[in-house]
Parts: sequence; C-alpha cells; structure tokens
Amino acid sequence: MGMIKKIIKRRWSNWIGRRIPRADAQVFSQKNIFILPTGAGVVFGVLLLIMLITGINYQNSLIYLLTFALGALFVGAMHQTHRNLSGLTLTLVQAGEGEAGDDVPFRFRVSAGKDSGLAILLAVEDSKLEGVHVPSGQSREVVLPIPSAQRGYLRPDRIRIETRFPFGLLKAWSWLRPTSAGVAYPRPVPAPEVLSQVEDGSDAKKEAKVAGQENADLRPWREGDMSQRVMWKRFARSGQMVVADWEGEQGSPHWLDFNAFPGVDTELRLSYLAWLVAERLQQGARFGLNLPGEAIEPDTGPVHGERCLKALAVWGEQPPRDQDALAFGTRKAVDGAAAERVA
Amino acid sequence: MSRLAGFFNGRSTSDTPVNTIPRGALVWLIGSFSLLLLPQLNRLPWWLVAACAVLAGWRWLAQSGRVRLPGRWLRTGIMLVLIAVYIGTVQGRFTVDTAASFFVLAVGLKWLETRSARDFYVLFFILVYLSAVNFLFQQGILWAILTFAAIGCLLIGLQVLNAPDLPDSMKSGWKRLGLLLVKTLPVVVLLFVFFPRMAPLWSVPLVSGEARSGISDTMRPGDISNLAQSSERAFRVTFGGAPPAYRDRYWRGLILDYLDGETWRQRDVESYQRPGRVAVDGGVGALASNQYDVLMEPTDQRWAFSLENSMAVSDNVFDAGEDLFRFRRPADSAVRYRLAVEPGQVRSNQELSPAVRQRYLQLPSSANPRARELADQLAAAYAPDQVVNELMTRFREQEYFYTLRPPAMPRDGVDALLFDEKRGFCAHYAGAATFVFRAAGIPSRVVIGYQGGDAGAGDEYLIVRQYDAHAWVEVWLEGRGWVRVDPTAAIAPSRIEFGLREAMAEEGSFLENSFTSPQRYGDLAMLQWASLQLDRINYHWQRWVVGYQGQSQMNLMSRLPGGIGMRELGYITAGLVGFALLVAGLVSALSMRRGARQDGFRRVVSGWHRLCEQAGVPVRSGETPGALADRLAQARPAVSDTARIFARTVNSHYYNAPSVKSEGEDARRLRRLLKTMKRQLRRGDESDPVPRTP
Repeated sequence: MGMIKKIIKRRWSNWIGRRIPRADAQVFSQKNIFILPTGAGVVFGVLLLIMLITGINYQNSLIYLLTFALGALFVGAMHQTHRNLSGLTLTLVQAGEGEAGDDVPFRFRVSAGKDSGLAILLAVEDSKLEGVHVPSGQSREVVLPIPSAQRGYLRPDRIRIETRFPFGLLKAWSWLRPTSAGVAYPRPVPAPEVLSQVEDGSDAKKEAKVAGQENADLRPWREGDMSQRVMWKRFARSGQMVVADWEGEQGSPHWLDFNAFPGVDTELRLSYLAWLVAERLQQGARFGLNLPGEAIEPDTGPVHGERCLKALAVWGEQPPRDQDALAFGTRKAVDGAAAERVA
Repeated sequence: MSRLAGFFNGRSTSDTPVNTIPRGALVWLIGSFSLLLLPQLNRLPWWLVAACAVLAGWRWLAQSGRVRLPGRWLRTGIMLVLIAVYIGTVQGRFTVDTAASFFVLAVGLKWLETRSARDFYVLFFILVYLSAVNFLFQQGILWAILTFAAIGCLLIGLQVLNAPDLPDSMKSGWKRLGLLLVKTLPVVVLLFVFFPRMAPLWSVPLVSGEARSGISDTMRPGDISNLAQSSERAFRVTFGGAPPAYRDRYWRGLILDYLDGETWRQRDVESYQRPGRVAVDGGVGALASNQYDVLMEPTDQRWAFSLENSMAVSDNVFDAGEDLFRFRRPADSAVRYRLAVEPGQVRSNQELSPAVRQRYLQLPSSANPRARELADQLAAAYAPDQVVNELMTRFREQEYFYTLRPPAMPRDGVDALLFDEKRGFCAHYAGAATFVFRAAGIPSRVVIGYQGGDAGAGDEYLIVRQYDAHAWVEVWLEGRGWVRVDPTAAIAPSRIEFGLREAMAEEGSFLENSFTSPQRYGDLAMLQWASLQLDRINYHWQRWVVGYQGQSQMNLMSRLPGGIGMRELGYITAGLVGFALLVAGLVSALSMRRGARQDGFRRVVSGWHRLCEQAGVPVRSGETPGALADRLAQARPAVSDTARIFARTVNSHYYNAPSVKSEGEDARRLRRLLKTMKRQLRRGDESDPVPRTP
C-alpha cells in the first residue's frame, strides 16, 4: 500500500518535473496550468443537477433557464480562472536568508501578461501569501516566508501558485521549481564562558600580547579599523597610524574558531559560532572565522557578518542540484527524510 | 535577523486561522436575500419575514462590530423557537409552499452562523436554490428579472469574497459577470431550445396553501361582488378568427345546481383524482379560425373556462359533461389550453331523465314565500319559455338596480331582493331568478364564470380579469335544451355590452378599493397604455419562454428539417455541450499560441544555449547569463562583446518589470545579437581554427 503510494508519488513528481523544468522564472500557460473544481465547485455541480431535476419534475422552464445559465457560467468561469493564471510570469528574485526554524523570506516577482492576474496565492507547504493582484502588463514584488527546518540550503521543491478567482468554484494552479536556494543560518546558542574569557581582557594585556606576537601583521590604518587596534606607541614614535593584524592565529580573541569547542557536536559548534558572530557584530568588534577548510579574514560590519553566517550555514553542505526533485531544508523535507530513516 | 525580514505586499495568512467574511461580500449576500424574498412576500407568514429581517440585520451589525453574534446556546434557542413557531404555523401540511417557507427559515437561521468562507458558500447554494423555488410561484417577466438580478448579486458577492481587497471590485465585477454572460448566452439559448423536455420523473403536486383570488365552487349572494374589486388577471384568450362580440363572451366555469339555504353549490362534489403527470402546455401550431387559446393564471383548481359549444383540442383538458372542461391536474401554475367552438355539435336535446329533472328543480323546503307565490302565478299563466320572458321583462321594466353596494338581506334573501330592496349584483339576481324558475317547475341552474374581456395591447388577445366574474342562469326548455338567461343583461345592459366599468360609471364604485390597480384609472391613457404593453410583454414571455414545454418543443422541432424526436434532442444537447467545451478549449489553445509567440524570448535564450554548446561551452544549470557569457568569451574571444551584451539584455529582461511592448523588442534585439554571434563564430573559425573541446 505504502509502496504503491510512494511509486505513484514519485511518478507524479517526475511528471511534474518534465512539465515544469527547474528554473527561477516560469511562464504559465496551457502546458503547465492545472485546473479542477474546488469543493464548492463540486457541490455547485450537484446543486445544478438537483435544480435540473426540479425543473423537469415541475416542468418549469424558468428553472431550466436558470440551471443552464449557471451551468454555462461555470464553464465560462473555468476559462476565466485559467486565463487569470495563464500568461503570468513568476520569478524568484531573491532567495532569502534567515535563522533555521524561522520563516525565511523569499522575494518573488509576479508579472502579468496580456490578462491581469487577480487574487493570486503563493504557497509553500503551510505558508501562504494570498491576495496578490497584478493588473495586465504590470508586475508586483511579493515576499513569501518559507519555513526552514534546519541549517543549510533552503530550497522548496515546488512553489505553488494558485488562483480561484472569480467565483472560487474552480482552482487553477501551477508550480515554480526554483533553482536558487536560500540559506538558513544555524540557530544561535550562547557559547560557554570559556571562550568569552579568551576574548575578554584589559587593553594592557592585549597590548602585551600584541607586542609579543611574532606573526602579527602590521599594516597602515584604513577606514573602519578600530581605534584599539592602532599601535599608538608606534604612532607616537613615527607619526604613522599602523594597525596590527593577525594571520590564522588560533585562540586569539579576534578569531572565532570551529576547533575551540572540543568534543561538542558539529551543529552545536556552529550554533555557538553563530551566536558569537551575532555578539561581535553587536559590539562592532573585529573578528575572523575559522572553519575547517575555510577561513574568513577578520573584518567588521554587517556585510562581513552576513558572509560569516552564510559560511556557517552551508558548511559541509552540498548545494542542491537541479535534478533533485526534492525540497531542501523545508519542514516537510526534513520530516520526510526522518520518516524515511525510521522506515 | 529582523533586518532581513522583508516587506509584504500581500496578506500572509500563515498564522491567521479564522477567515472572516469581507464586508463587501456580505452586503451583496444580504442584498440578494432581500431580493429573493420579494416574490414570496405575500406567501410567507409575517413572522418569518420579520425573523429573517432581524437575523440578517443582526449579522450585518455583527459585521461592523456593534453587536456580537450569539453563542451556541442562544443560537440553539433561537433556532428551536423559530422552528416551533414554524411547526405551529404549518400544522402538518406538507406542501411545496411550506417547504419553501422552511427554506426561507433555514436561510434566516444560517445568518447567525455565517462566519467563514465555507458558511458563505453554504448560503450561496441555499440562495441559488431559493431562486429556483421562487420560479415555482412567480413566473412573470419582472419577477424573473428580479430573480436573475439576485443571482447576479450573489455572483458579485462571490467575487468580492475571493478578492476582497481588489480596488473598484464592484464595477469590474459587474463587467466581468456581464461579459461572461454575453459569452455564454448563445449556449444557454441553444440548450434551452434543444434540451429535451422530459415528462416529470415522479408526480409532484404543487398545491400551495395560498388563497388565490378567483371564483369558487360555492356562491352566496355577496360573493362575486368581492371579486369585482380585483383587477387581477384571470386569463387571456387568443382567437384564431375574430373574437365574439362583447355580449357573447360568456366564459363558463362551473354549474351550481344545489341550493343549500342561501348558498348555491355543486350537488356532486368533483371526486378527487390523482394529479396526472401531464405537460402543462396545450395545443401547438397556428390556431384554426374557430379555435382559441386560453392562457390561464394559476387557480389551484381543475376547472377550465370555455365559451358555449366548445370542444377540447389540447390534451391537457377534457370534456367533463354539461359543456364544461376540466384539467387533468390542478392549475398550480399558469396553464395554456386550446378549445374549438363547434356550434354544429349542439349537445343532446333529448329529454331530461326524471332524476336529472328532479335535481334541477331542487329547492329548500321553506323560505321566500313571496317568490314562490310569484312563481306559482307565472307558472299558472304561462308556458315555461314565457315564464322566463315574463321574469326578464319584470327585471327590465321595474326599478331593479345593478350595484356593487347591495344592502344586507339576511332573511328570505330572494324575497327581499325581488320585492323590497331591488338592489343587487349578478349573483343576487342569478340566484333569485333560478329560485323563481325552479319554483315555477322549470329545470334551471346557476352558471358561474366570467363575462367580457378587454383587448390587450395590439389587439392580439383578450384579457379577462377577476372583476369580469359573473353569474347567470341556464334553463331547460323543451325542444331547445339548456338556454342561457342572464338577469343582469335585463337590469344593466351596459355590464354585458361594455363591462363593469361602464355599468358602475354612475355609482363610481368600480375598483373603489384597489388604489394600485392601473385599471382603476381608466382615464389616464398613458397609464393604460403602459400597463397593457407590460401585459403584452408578459404574455409573450408566458407563451414562449415559460410555456416552452414538451409539445411546444416538439412542434418547433417538427418544423426543422429531418424528424427530430426526443432521442435526437438528446444527441443535439450532448453535441451542444461538447461543442461549447470544444470552443472553450480552442479559444484557450489560441491564447496559448499567442503565449508561445510572446515567449519568443525563451526560444532565443535556448538558441543561445545551443550556440554555447556548439562552441564547446557546456551550459551549467543555474548559471547566470553573465557567467555563461564570461565563459563563452574566454573560450571564443571573437564573440566576447556580443555575448556580454546578450547576457546583459537577458538580465535586464528578467529583472525589470516587463511590459508587453518591451517583450517583443527584447526578443527582437536578442535575435539580432544571436545572429551576430553566429556570424562572428563562423568568421572566427575560418581565421582562427581553435580545436573544439568535446
């Protein structure tokens, strides 16, 4: 039973994959729009049948007329609902970034063709964004929060675009199968005290350490350097503003190091580091990040912070390939994987 | 990471479980409900209308937050109370009428629990069916327009529900709906014409509890003068030839042959017959010169009205004897039937059997001594036909008055009328004359029906109204059979020659209590004209749309080439539905081709991808156009510039708001660039043959 269900599911998903190639932009047309009556539409059909029987039994021409008019309207609505979606282009403009477990905002652009697209709904798993109206020839940017479940790349397999306009009796839908992936940062977990000790310390102590550092890299001051880093003694001597920089120094307060937490689980380490990065950013401190196989030079500022977080997020992860008909990092994807492991 | 939280253009509903109904949608729903109640207003009990108004009003106030919707207990309480009142009102009668009332009650109660979109749809469905139920009771063109307008309101409501924040939703909603209707109209018309009209699947009596105005099967002296206050239409008649003169327009309906105190009734109550499953329309094709079509308003009765010496032509009426006609099922909706006047076929002139003779001589044992005395004198002096003439002469020559305001004559009514008051309406005189004839030994009976009928707009048909209701007498004369005798003709000839309006001109009592009736204002020509025109439209509506039933359809089909029967109609209908779907499919296929043309852009891009592959630069999926162009430029420097421009154009196309106009332009530009690239590659190959990487 489960087996058959799985096979059907896979076939279905392969079939959709053939119809809707993976791309960050998708134009919807006859080829890839699906249309079916909604629950209300089915009930409406039954109602029309009952009305027809009423008309026959009471030999009432006006009930016939009403039934035919509503029936024709239903068929007309099918066309209308289809046209509402057809010609529309959905583009993933920016796959967002956010913390694992949070909803990560993905930015989309919906552009209408000759017909306007009204009451469009975008949905991924249980996150929905409805009531997007795009007049013909125009476009709208919208943000759809996509729930992330774990650190790493976040790429839903399919983003559903749907409309039930005008009467809600029929729904037309299709999917965008994006190539770009968003990123979910590790969820920050406060790092143990041990490390903050290393970072702590008086200016004098630091100075001594800096002075004693053999491989301190001295370079001229440039904008953005912190005043603590300037070698003031040297400035007093020579009048040159020189800043000390350290290269690959482990255990240094300016380096956040993956190896600083022996025995701790990888994900937790990354969470500690994420917390430290956020803390440093708040303090406006200068810091570098050292991960096995990847090091980010010490620097300051939000751009640097984001780069570090991103490195933490995707460390050890493979970027999703286009061929994969799978969701990456969304709640359903993680649950599905867990279920498979159990099975 | 709040700094990364973006902006929202739409409504995110990931955490709003309660989907409330938008205000605009509710307005349309309530509006539609009010419209749909109108056709039923005079049928529904007043408390139900009041309850519906209160419940819908409550829901409306709750929408604006002024009151709260009742909780479950209060709601159940209201429901139980209303249902109890309903059961009390209905008292176990189960008719379509009470079912329709229950339907209205259900809608009323549903208002209190209309919270979600789902409830909205439930109401939508109930209201659609309610509009179908309305058509069972009201089929006039104005009511039909009203009902369709209510359906329109419902559909606007649905549109608002599905796109509540759409600006200008009302105007665009009507426009969208109108376009949709216009597009589907041909299919609707064809379906209406060709859908086979089957016989009812099972028998459905549609007897409403509503009291219809019209004649009844008993006659007390004051009865018909009440009817004379109504200008409601009784029936319309179309003649194949020239209509008979006004004075000959006697529409016979019932024979009352039994005098029970003061009341005339039928001696043999017509036995109940199961309503047949019979088509309501009657008679097809052009009328022969002696035929006439009657389109009768619903009476819930089985009797039909006919001229003297008629014969049934259509199947839905049959000859019930005594030159009367009956329907095969009560006329619970407007019904058309066809009769022919055949003067040659005079009814049997043979003797009345003693039993029948006895029946038409029946009188109560006492009362009205003076009338009996008069009858005895007449009978002693004259032969029966002279007795009749004498009495008519008496009516003509003495001071008898025809009045809508007769005095009360509680005891010995016939005596009081003939000798004291001398004022009465047709029912008084007909009853009194029959009394005298019977007392004189002449078999006689009261006939009730209508007399008269005014021309409708364009003289297409006659309109007979309730105020044309009339009672007269028939007497049996040896050798002549039943002969019509009308005391009213003797007393007030203008009533018979020109109608009640003329007869009452002096008294001024014509329709004196019906202020809204257009007929009351006979001197306002404009009003008369408009009223008749409306009647004509309604007549044709009734005749051709409402009355389009089995036989009419067969008749229409028989005029088409080829024998079209029920089965062929089925095929045609199926074909029509298929054809409509096909057309819809074709239209969308065409628009898809238009879409494909629009998508020339994508074709150019895939052409470029092919070119890259040929040039030995495999396209990696997910690669930006810029990156691909860079790699191409590295591999084939000859096209570097063109490739980069190409990539930039693609980028700007994807990331700028595209317009229909720029779409085509971009594609054209890209095609040119692609051509250039191909040329450059060829030239590059000739001058600088770089081995291609596999």
